[in-house]
Amino acid sequence: MKVCFYFQVHQPMRLAPFSIFAPEGGEQASLFERYFDHSLNKQILQKVANKCYLPTNSLLLDALEKNPDLHLAFSITGVFLEQARMYMPEVVDSFAALAKTGRVEFLSETYYHSLSSLFTEQTEFEEQVNLHKAAIAPFCAKPTVFRNTESMFSNDIAHWAERLGYVGIMTEGLDQMLGWRSPTYTYKVRGSDKIRALLRHYKLSDDIGYRFSQKSWNEWPLTAEKYANWLAATPGDCVNLFMDYETFGEHHWEDTGIFSFLKQLFPEISKHRHLEYATPSQVAQQVGPRGEVDAPSVISWADNERDTSAWLGNDMQRAAFGELTSLEKPLKELGDADLLRTWRHLQNSDHLYYCCTKSLSDQDVHNYFSPYESPFDSFINYMNVIQDLKAQVKRREKR
Amino acid sequence: MRIAMLGWEFPPFISGGLGVHCFELTKALAAKGHFIDFFMPVSGKTLVSPHKNICLIETSESALRPYLVFNKKGKLATYGEGLIRAVEVYNSQAAKMVAAEHKQNPYDVIHCHDWLTAPGGAHARHLILRPLVQTFHSCEFDRTSTPWDAIVRIERQAAADADLIIAVSNRMRKQLKTHLGADEKKMRVVYNGVDADKYRASAVDAPYSKPALSVQTDGKHVVLFLGRLTEQKGPVQFLHAAKKVLEKRQDVLFFIAGTGELMPLLINLSMELGLGEHVRFLGYLSDADQKRIYRAADVYIMPSTSEPFGITALEALASGTPIIVSKTSGVSEVVKSALRVDFWDIHGMAQKIISVLQFAPLRKSMAEGAPADLKHLTWEQVANHTYGVYDEAVRSFKQNK
Repeated sequence: MKVCFYFQVHQPMRLAPFSIFAPEGGEQASLFERYFDHSLNKQILQKVANKCYLPTNSLLLDALEKNPDLHLAFSITGVFLEQARMYMPEVVDSFAALAKTGRVEFLSETYYHSLSSLFTEQTEFEEQVNLHKAAIAPFCAKPTVFRNTESMFSNDIAHWAERLGYVGIMTEGLDQMLGWRSPTYTYKVRGSDKIRALLRHYKLSDDIGYRFSQKSWNEWPLTAEKYANWLAATPGDCVNLFMDYETFGEHHWEDTGIFSFLKQLFPEISKHRHLEYATPSQVAQQVGPRGEVDAPSVISWADNERDTSAWLGNDMQRAAFGELTSLEKPLKELGDADLLRTWRHLQNSDHLYYCCTKSLSDQDVHNYFSPYESPFDSFINYMNVIQDLKAQVKRREKR
Repeated sequence: MRIAMLGWEFPPFISGGLGVHCFELTKALAAKGHFIDFFMPVSGKTLVSPHKNICLIETSESALRPYLVFNKKGKLATYGEGLIRAVEVYNSQAAKMVAAEHKQNPYDVIHCHDWLTAPGGAHARHLILRPLVQTFHSCEFDRTSTPWDAIVRIERQAAADADLIIAVSNRMRKQLKTHLGADEKKMRVVYNGVDADKYRASAVDAPYSKPALSVQTDGKHVVLFLGRLTEQKGPVQFLHAAKKVLEKRQDVLFFIAGTGELMPLLINLSMELGLGEHVRFLGYLSDADQKRIYRAADVYIMPSTSEPFGITALEALASGTPIIVSKTSGVSEVVKSALRVDFWDIHGMAQKIISVLQFAPLRKSMAEGAPADLKHLTWEQVANHTYGVYDEAVRSFKQNK
């Protein structure tokens, strides 16, 4: 059975507190400079790099040397790479070193970690995917597997990916979609022929991603040996372990033992002779499909609902998203690079995520990641920035 | 449980949150089968008990002036002349009457509210040997920028005498520790509540209809301030924020409901700032008018510099009006569907007011969050938590005997 590890790497570009009373800063001031909190973003990127990206990359590089059969995959957003290049280029270098081993695959996604796949037209979506391809070109000449923002997936999105030549697309191993079936096989997608859906094994993935450091969990403490045994006992053709890369050192701090777990995990997996590592493209190409999945509406890996409600669940989110998408046409007609880039950074799904008003358990997760006091504060800041951008577009149109 | 409660206000004899709290708390406790004797000063009005388990007992022969009175010039004064004396008379009477009633039908616990009734509670505790619970709805440092030593001394003593202390917020708890040296181990936080049904649009009103007001709004948006006009409530900040809002849009009215020592200053300030017709002083509003004004407002703002709790914010919330509350308020600790501001951040306050007026989806999402907040903030919950404190006080009192 194939074991497929894929890590998602992303840091949002957080907005600066916007004041509707602030002077506009003159004609020449770049909107990109004005709207985003560059010092906060730098500070967070550096903090997470030191806790997670640098130590985990070096651990994995070492593991790739010691375990010659090991294969891994990453999906790195353009927003992340852009910030890493600006604030901490050695982080980019450390990913390049992993790429150089030839055993690390990089996936395709939107540059801006956006919801552009949900736009009525696919032009913007494709442009962002192409921008991302260019951004990861130093690591990977041609990505062949697509992973949409937050694993958003539907028959239409899969069909689009097939049309563009991707061999596989990643998404959530959602019970509602699978029914009695298991995520440990590959599937065709309704309405498409060649592309394979690679489904996240959410239980085994979340055992590491969420539960690893939970002392109330009855399996705590999780050892590499125990986890490898679980993998070995899992029936199927492939087990897809997809998680945020920040799991290592950031969601679970070093003192939880997460790094020694990860280090020991690869030799433990190698002890089981029927387990072999594979990248997503290897899984898509080498594992034959066992059926077909059908996702008429968009699913994702977020919250309990596993749909788009984390970003578009309330009126504030839908209003902001609507305003933003309505700017596409006038903005592209203007052809102003700063404006276009700023608009695209505003599409980052995190801005909408901070406006989520779901209560209880989910809300706690939203609060943990949000730089705002409340979803309302987030909306006010975000919407005022969008209104300002709209006014800027109008003003420039008049010229 | 039989409770001897020493209070100062009770409807229809009421001038602030203290009276509302006592009325609603006793009603909710009585509904749970507890018996409350409520000792209060002679009101000069006909009192009707809201429940058969509540007995209203007036304690003094000499009629007292209400907590808030007007002085000779017609200006509202925070304290009536001779208040301290009146409090002394009340407390010594109340303690004796509690002891006399106790002989007939013993109490389990004594419960006092604020400094006004604290000395009587401590005295009664000594006479009948029952535990004393003391609620602080505010302390002198919240009520005025020039605290009265005499009152601070009484408060300090009250904090020392009580077996357990109820603070209406975490903020209050910290204040009591800092200003009165209250023992952290004795303090429990019980947040206030609201009877949301009282403020909800009634069935006869068309949905989303704005009630008719005697003041003309000419279709303009209404931003409401409601409270005593004292420094602690932040009316000055309210006017400065109004000026900022008017820089961006003119279709907004700012209503100030309430009276207080700052009224003349505020009228002058609104003229100095050139707010003119955009600011309306409504004076003190009756209960019925308060309900209408909450619903007529497009946004309620409580910019208090120091607010132990802030029940009015809950009343506005229950009325379906978006609320903006200062971070230095107790209510901001428990309400998630509110916007919070720093009272000194005039720009931030104005920006939030404008955003609420401008963005309908924001108003809608805030309104959708309100029921979840209000569900936890009922008087029944207040009574449950208060009873929990009584129970704890009674147990540890017995153990220590």
